[in-house]
Amino acid sequence: MRTLVAFLLLYLLFLVQASVAPWWPDLVLLGLIAVSLHETRITSALAGAFAGLCLDMTNPAFTGTSLFALAVTGYGVASLRTLFYRARWATLLFVLMALALKWTALALFGPGLPDLAPLLVSSALTMALAPLVELGLTRLLYPGWQPA
Amino acid sequence: MAKRLVTAGQDRIAWLVIFLGLVLLLLPHRLRLAATQPFQTALLAPLRLGAAVNQTLHDSRAENERLSLLAARLSVDNARLESASQTAGPEPTVGLVLTRAPVISRDLATFERWLVISRGTLHGVRPGDPVITPDGVCGKVIACGPHQSLVQTLLAPESRIAVLDLRSRVPALARADRAGRLVLDYAPKESDFGTGDTVVTAGLGTVFPKGLRLGEVIAVPDRPEALFKPVTIRPFADISRIEQVFVICLPEAGALDTGSVWLGNTVRPEVSIPDQPAGQ
Repeated sequence: MRTLVAFLLLYLLFLVQASVAPWWPDLVLLGLIAVSLHETRITSALAGAFAGLCLDMTNPAFTGTSLFALAVTGYGVASLRTLFYRARWATLLFVLMALALKWTALALFGPGLPDLAPLLVSSALTMALAPLVELGLTRLLYPGWQPA
Repeated sequence: MAKRLVTAGQDRIAWLVIFLGLVLLLLPHRLRLAATQPFQTALLAPLRLGAAVNQTLHDSRAENERLSLLAARLSVDNARLESASQTAGPEPTVGLVLTRAPVISRDLATFERWLVISRGTLHGVRPGDPVITPDGVCGKVIACGPHQSLVQTLLAPESRIAVLDLRSRVPALARADRAGRLVLDYAPKESDFGTGDTVVTAGLGTVFPKGLRLGEVIAVPDRPEALFKPVTIRPFADISRIEQVFVICLPEAGALDTGSVWLGNTVRPEVSIPDQPAGQ
């Protein structure tokens, strides 16, 4: 049930993300990382694939780009969290890696990178929001959970 | 052992999902578009619905604006034709201009005595111009700036409007009471006012042309001791909820010499408006 709610939440974040300007923070990525920090590897990869598929639908000519990037992100975060995730600030590390992967995938396989200003603003806002979103979603979906 | 097998199986499925993403990346564009069409329809349905609702709202708002203006125009035309039906000859068409004016402020005590509208002398509005809504008379302009004007509504304590019962043609003077309604002063005791009668402007005084819809008689209590008939009127225009009004910009004095009986009583006050400072 909780997994279903997490998928629904990712879909809602996608709906918001698809309606806002490109300089907004990447809400879907933040949601996916928060979910992947608590779910299994397969669930995280599926959640990433689902969120990526949703994002790809806004630009179907490059379908697969976000799906691949976010599925790898979900799987990677779920796999590496026991190695890196020792405190909430470590979320920033995952966000940094995920952003790098996302922009690389967009540049190599997708429609290309956006202008420099939206790219920098969006990345900075995503980084800034990461601890807050992680804390909020953890309390919402996984109450009582504490970092190892 | 079993747990390890399950974990390994889950890992394989996760890698399969990632591999599928890679396969999708390698597909030709046309094939990708065809393959994702059903997903696109399903996943973007809420966004499309939202966009459609937004467009419908936008269209409805525009239609509402158009119909409001049409209703105000018809209200004025109705008053002109009604007046013409009382006289012998046809009423000539006069150069009235209806100026749409959003309400940008109002008196904060009652919300219904004074309005500030965002149209002024630069838009052709002058002190003394009647102000109406599609429902009925709202008030009159009493002061103007270049971009804004102050409107005294019918419900202001100082407001007095000569009115006429549309059915019995009995004239009287309407003023506001404290309950957001109008009462008639000097209605003769034997006059014929009935509940449900429509009251229109009488065309007396110098502001309102004859025949503009104003309100409906809602009470004619029987008071034998009163000198005049106590008649209560509910204005058609809901002053406290008005968001935009229409100012009837009357023609200049020279333009009124067209034989128009309807506007015979309206006189634009002699006001001198100083020149605009440079840059405005």
